[in-house]
Amino acid sequence: MLEIRSARKVFYKGQADEKVALDGLNLSLATGEFGIVIGSNGAGKSSMLNAISGSLILDSGRILINGTDVTDMPVYKRATKLARVFQDPMRGTAASMTVAENMLLADLRSHKRTLRQGLNAARRASYKERLSILGLGLENRLDTRVDLLSGGQRQSLSLIMAVGGSPDLLLLDEHTAALDPRTADIVMKATVRAVNALKLTTLMVTHNMQHAVDYGSRVIMLDAGRVRLEVTGEEKSAVTVADLIGHFSVKTDRMLLAS
Amino acid sequence: MSFIQEVLTSFVAIIPVTLAQSLILAFVVLGIMIPFRMLNFPDLTSEGAFPLGGCVCGVLLAAGASPLTAIAVAIAAGFVAGCCTAFIHLRFRIHTLLAGILMMTMLYSINLRIMGKSNLSVFGSPTVFDWVPFARPGFPASKIVVAGLLALLVFTVLYMFFRTEKGTAVRAVGANPDMAEAQGINVWAATIGGVGLASAFSASSGALMVQSQGFADVNMGLGILINGLAALMIGEAVVGKQTVWRQLLAPFAGAIIYYQLVSFCLAAGMPPPDLKLATGLFVLAMLALPSLKRSRGPAPAREAIRE
Repeated sequence: MLEIRSARKVFYKGQADEKVALDGLNLSLATGEFGIVIGSNGAGKSSMLNAISGSLILDSGRILINGTDVTDMPVYKRATKLARVFQDPMRGTAASMTVAENMLLADLRSHKRTLRQGLNAARRASYKERLSILGLGLENRLDTRVDLLSGGQRQSLSLIMAVGGSPDLLLLDEHTAALDPRTADIVMKATVRAVNALKLTTLMVTHNMQHAVDYGSRVIMLDAGRVRLEVTGEEKSAVTVADLIGHFSVKTDRMLLAS
Repeated sequence: MSFIQEVLTSFVAIIPVTLAQSLILAFVVLGIMIPFRMLNFPDLTSEGAFPLGGCVCGVLLAAGASPLTAIAVAIAAGFVAGCCTAFIHLRFRIHTLLAGILMMTMLYSINLRIMGKSNLSVFGSPTVFDWVPFARPGFPASKIVVAGLLALLVFTVLYMFFRTEKGTAVRAVGANPDMAEAQGINVWAATIGGVGLASAFSASSGALMVQSQGFADVNMGLGILINGLAALMIGEAVVGKQTVWRQLLAPFAGAIIYYQLVSFCLAAGMPPPDLKLATGLFVLAMLALPSLKRSRGPAPAREAIRE
């Protein structure tokens, strides 16, 4: 489903503050697999997601989604295959437009936009139904401008928008990190429900080790732009928070010695 | 008492003339509103696109073209000018305002080249205003009818467009370009098309103006931007901008009210040279109002404009 082949990206190439963001990264994710990406700050997690979604152009390497080479596709063309929820609730929605209009935009993500009326009764009814799953009352606020919603409501809306239309690949970029614990829990539960129900191929970046232990079928740990550790199958079901943090501390000690 | 009466009499006498003028200029206001409000792309091209439309129309009329052909070519020229501004911004990552300034400066030379001289009389050439039955040509009534019908048509078509799937996508580009792109919308195409369309409206206004006044002048766009902005601010203050319908109505309502206000000020004896200062102060006041309403502190953080 998703395949990253020796992806390499260097920022500020040839300058004193040269930074290797992705260092020959290889990763493949089978259809329906739920991968959890962990790693310290600067390990290349965001660069990897940006490279997959197209907002970061690789220096070298290829990216394939569903067998199609998307390396040279602009963001808007890749959007027909993948959906993304950002950490910042403001980024994933159009603030000055209504809830229903945002749903419409997501609905048309992988379709050709026509000159037919956008919001019709049938669509509004289906949005209402899809939003009611969250239990946040958004289904009764279809005509509310999104900037009047709370951060948690906006993020929940982003999630519903992203999973609608069953994208080939779902990217979650620390999407619960900016939310209070209760809302984060609601959003996380809704995420898992949607991913399981729709059997979505998912890549989730998180700093929450409990989430990495509880969810997903595989844990991928990035370090210095490459995959340091992969935990799958039996091993994944037995892994504990302490195990995962253990791998972090090894790196931290090494970093301390190096500095 | 007699002074007030005098002012009112002279004001009322020119209401129809002013109304005809404002309906023609409403298209510039529309050309300013679309990039500014719908695409979040503050655009100054109209200052050059308005005379561009006028010059193209003037030259074609002088060459004996039909008034409709002249307007159509003027619209096409304006569209290209707007596309260039948007392209300069997108391709070279130049600030939208600077891209607009560059474009309008370059257009001044282009306009002079098109006409070959700084003004051109097309008095006596046929105009679209001649085609109104029962109205004597050259009188405000026929201009009001033609410009009014055009305004109604444009308003209706735009209102319908912004409610379609494509139209919603264009609005999303203005609301959040990153999000729009992530939802599969081609931000380049929408921006270039949208700004191009806006400049096409500005150019159409210039073309209509030339047919209405009987001459084209390379300086006819001077100050049109600030006038249009003032008209837009008044329109938004009066009809609001909360919905697409109101936002689209604002340029038309604003143009009509603003030019009547100007005409009233002139009738009341305001020296014409002071007009620009007054207009500028007025726009400043309208833009500053939100931050003046707060008791202390700087203006609240606005949603970032595209840079």
